[in-house]
Amino acid sequence: MSEKQEKAGWDPKIVAIVCNWCTYAGADLAGISRIQYPPNVRIVRVPCTGRINPFYIVRALQEGADGVLVSGCHPGECHYLTGNLCARRKFAMLKRFLDYLGVEADRTTFTWCSASEGERFAKVVRGVTEKVRSVGPAKKLVKSL
Amino acid sequence: MEAIERKLREEAKKLLEEKKVDVIIGYEAGTLPLTMTPTFITDPSEVEKLVWNSLCIHNLAKYVHDVISQHRVAQKRLKPENRTKKIVGVIGRGCTTRSIVLHLQERQYTREEVVIVGVPCQGYVDKKKLAELVGGQEITAGTISEGHILAVTAKGERKIPILDVLADNCLTCRFNNPVLSDITIGEPAPPMKAEEEYKEVNAFEQLSSDERWAYFEREMAKCIRCYACRQACPSCYCPECFVEQSRPQWVGIGGEASDTQVFQIMRIFHMAGRCVDCGSCVAVCPMGVDLRKFLKKLDKDAFELFGSRVGASMDDPPILSTFKEHECEDFIYNP
Repeated sequence: MSEKQEKAGWDPKIVAIVCNWCTYAGADLAGISRIQYPPNVRIVRVPCTGRINPFYIVRALQEGADGVLVSGCHPGECHYLTGNLCARRKFAMLKRFLDYLGVEADRTTFTWCSASEGERFAKVVRGVTEKVRSVGPAKKLVKSL
Repeated sequence: MEAIERKLREEAKKLLEEKKVDVIIGYEAGTLPLTMTPTFITDPSEVEKLVWNSLCIHNLAKYVHDVISQHRVAQKRLKPENRTKKIVGVIGRGCTTRSIVLHLQERQYTREEVVIVGVPCQGYVDKKKLAELVGGQEITAGTISEGHILAVTAKGERKIPILDVLADNCLTCRFNNPVLSDITIGEPAPPMKAEEEYKEVNAFEQLSSDERWAYFEREMAKCIRCYACRQACPSCYCPECFVEQSRPQWVGIGGEASDTQVFQIMRIFHMAGRCVDCGSCVAVCPMGVDLRKFLKKLDKDAFELFGSRVGASMDDPPILSTFKEHECEDFIYNP
């Protein structure tokens, strides 16, 4: 992003990869309940957090996302029983690894949010948007073309 | 070392003559001075070719996987009742056997298909360090003896202690004796400085985020995407690698710097809980990319978070193939 654009008012773009059974329904609930949350997230629905290839996250960052939010069912409440537990290990490793490479830790966020937690979803999005806003536009790993 | 070599040939000959194995995978002298190359022996009279010394760099588990999987593909043409199994004998040092354990855990072949002749290992020579010590001169001849390498270049002879040119991963190796073997040759090798294995990673972690990124960017800028690291890696056995998939295309193949970074990030991350630190990728890299600094981090995290060391034993599954109900909850965001 050029200096000019930055000054003109940059707004973070966040890719939210959420599971169909909990967080997507939670986001829906937030919508029906008319809970306000920042419009910076672009939601991608997947069957389960266990389905998320770590590559999705890296690829989103490469394609210019300023932040990535991954959210699924709480541990023990997975629709596929253990999908989110498998995912948790993967993401624990990935988050530490991206941080080690020098990609700011605040760009990747992992959380759980159930279908009845519309309020929590709004809170998560508010929090993540604030975190990403404070680290600024993504410069590392972003495609230059 | 000669005693081990002699014993190795005896055992290999016995295995081939008794038809316990169809092929022995080991090392033979290469065509260039001071190089060893993998060899595939099927005839008992050829076992004299086998060598074992500090110039044996390759992780032979790669070839075990290749031979068995290619044989299986070839068998598909036959009627099921005519199909045979191929039993592979392999000279296995610590890291080779760890890779085999990983293959077995990932159900790539069965324990009956592989016969491991375990050898103690005292590390192998890093060719790049050796080249540096002889001033980049071409080595025209050379011999290796207990503890020393004699390298002859146009500028004369040089006697180099092996300890000075050992690869980084060997210097801090924790598993220099086989973790799994059918026949073990020689006495267990003395331990290396395993307590210093994460020294480099710890030092790197102390740098600022921007410094780390600058280093990563600089290292990856060297990469020419020859995929030698992937070809040499025993854990890289996907029938079709993500870099070659075109629908969808996971990663671009042009000169774009971020594509190379993404390729390396994903290849390295695919090694989470699967890298045995055999150093094959580093040894074959023509550009000298510091891959180990990043691979070792995954190893460190896997041990810190899950207390697991890759391929250390058959009862310890790869970290990403298992889970516990309550673990690593500290990175979960709670507003």
